[in-house]
Amino acid sequence: MFVTLPRRSRARTAALLALVLLAASACADDTSTAGSGGTVKIGLLASLSGTYQSVGKDIRDGFQLYLSAHDGKLGGRTVELVVADEGNGAATAVPAATKLLKQDRVVALTGIVGGGSVAAVQPLLTETKVPFVGSNGRPELKDVSRVWHTSYLSDEPGEAIAAHVRADVKGSVYAIGPDYQGGWDELRGFTEAYAAAGGKLANPDGKTTFTPFPATTNFTPYFARIKASGADAVYTFYAGGAAVDFVKQYAQSEIKDVPLYAAGFLTEGGVLDAQGDAARDIYSVLNYSPDLDNAENRAFVAAWKAGHDGSPTTYAMASYDAAAVLDRAIAAAGDDATAEKINAAIGQLGQIASPRGTWQFSPTTHAPVQKWYLRQVRQDGRALSNTVVGDLATVGG
Amino acid sequence: MSGVPVDPYVVPALDGVAYGLLVFVAAAGLVLCFGVAGILNLAHGTLFAIGGYTAAALLDGGWGSLALALVVGVGAATAAGALVALLLTRVGAAGHLNQALLTFGVALAGGSLLVAAFGPDDPPVRVPAALDGSVVVAGHRYAAYRLVFIVLAAVLAGLLHLAVRRTRAGMLVRAAVDDAEMVATLGVSPAVVRVGVLAAAGALAGAAGVLGAPIIGPGPDTADAVLLLSLVVVVLGGLGSMTGTLLAALAVGQIQTLGVALAPSAAPFLLFAAMAVVLAVRARGLATARRAT
Repeated sequence: MFVTLPRRSRARTAALLALVLLAASACADDTSTAGSGGTVKIGLLASLSGTYQSVGKDIRDGFQLYLSAHDGKLGGRTVELVVADEGNGAATAVPAATKLLKQDRVVALTGIVGGGSVAAVQPLLTETKVPFVGSNGRPELKDVSRVWHTSYLSDEPGEAIAAHVRADVKGSVYAIGPDYQGGWDELRGFTEAYAAAGGKLANPDGKTTFTPFPATTNFTPYFARIKASGADAVYTFYAGGAAVDFVKQYAQSEIKDVPLYAAGFLTEGGVLDAQGDAARDIYSVLNYSPDLDNAENRAFVAAWKAGHDGSPTTYAMASYDAAAVLDRAIAAAGDDATAEKINAAIGQLGQIASPRGTWQFSPTTHAPVQKWYLRQVRQDGRALSNTVVGDLATVGG
Repeated sequence: MSGVPVDPYVVPALDGVAYGLLVFVAAAGLVLCFGVAGILNLAHGTLFAIGGYTAAALLDGGWGSLALALVVGVGAATAAGALVALLLTRVGAAGHLNQALLTFGVALAGGSLLVAAFGPDDPPVRVPAALDGSVVVAGHRYAAYRLVFIVLAAVLAGLLHLAVRRTRAGMLVRAAVDDAEMVATLGVSPAVVRVGVLAAAGALAGAAGVLGAPIIGPGPDTADAVLLLSLVVVVLGGLGSMTGTLLAALAVGQIQTLGVALAPSAAPFLLFAAMAVVLAVRARGLATARRAT
């Protein structure tokens, strides 16, 4: 008893102390979220570790690039940017988002690489009534009232290039992609629009060939089937390590002279360096290319190259745009920029000038209505780069 | 081109041999450890990854860099194998579960260190310029490097066979498995044999990693993928038989290439379905008659 008694009283003191501290911090919180101090707290959630960390770091850097180009202010208010690690997916994204939304009490959230992470975080957004301006992954969502994306929907790249492939390729096209949600969406976008344009797939059963993901590292057997099908061109979507394997093996395969069309991620960012010469001449469709000729893009690329090796990616561009969206929305929300007011202001933005060209949010999907570009991997100085060779369809909504 | 029905399957079959031999060289080290010396080394895939990353870092398109990468990669993986053996000295006799736990921890730590050192992306691997193209084999285009790799891996397999069967070191290892105490009374410490076996296994994994880097490129997932394939091959091959392992590796290679070409919709489970069938029919793997060869 003698031993436990002081302990208990010590525990009571500690509890009391904790209470006092909690009350103090709650008071402090109240003053900071009122926003009268002129600062505004934004949360950025992105994969800074794990498989997608190169994408996550581009997203973080793209947002910070916009901030530093605007004196660290959005809508005239000094921004306190709280960065958290999304990790590999929902399991790590949810606790990180919970901290940002409930502990840091940010007025807006941005970033998020994975579509699965976005879906898992959405209930938290509904609960805390905080708007989310996503810059990459976009899953199927029922309620988009607080969700906005500056990226694209997964089936849009294929939809945008299908008519061009139909017109360009005399004969049939073989469709192949990875066997997961992202792959299904990307390929469905192409095959549906291609069929609507009167095209016929070279696949023996008329359906896209899906390869086990991420288990497939050797594509040679699939190339043999493509050869046997007599296809005149191939359409595909792969990203990351699978994109490197696919492209390198394609260039040394029996079908190396068959034109390859792809969603832009096949040759975007770091994977292009890994593919090297094997990627030469591949056609891809994307909403951005660093060589687009407009004032916003020239400023963006110049600022990016000042701090990074190489050109910016579409991931960095989308995050840069997310900052631009918040900049205008916070300014429009006025002095008392609450989460609700910022969300309402995003819906009223209209046209947004961007390095990709001007775009706007679709009122139904809350994703961009934007122009897509046909790019080809070509020599650009000493390095290979995705060079714009033409405009494709404007897709969205 | 011609209407012969086997025609589309020539390249997958050839590729299956290249893939099978790569898996064999990678798995041979695990067979040495597990089958021959009774050590379960789950860090084996990481040793392969060390070789792969070395190749990615050093290869510059010339022959000299390939030789250098081979020396450095094999050296580094050998040292890493010996390090695992030293870590295992305390738990070595304590059963496979403890070994598995320790080496799995080493694999996790090693994997993180490799990612920290070489980055999260799959680095590019540049094969010697003379081999960076394709050649026509029986009317089909095939990657030149893979063709050369088949020859190299076959030579490695032959050397390995000779080493285990004909050299004094090979005999000692086989003797240590049969009766460790008897070997100890002959004046050879089983601990030394264990270090030697793990170092040799590391050397094999390193060589496979360097030479196989253009086929199974280095990356954060490489260690797991190679470990899984190697374990499948070791189990299929009958736990300890080099001949069985070779047969199993070639079978795995064909399943992964020809099998996928013949039945693409079954691709996700072909390998493990085949493994289940083999185990159901012959519980001790493909080669059961010949132990420790």
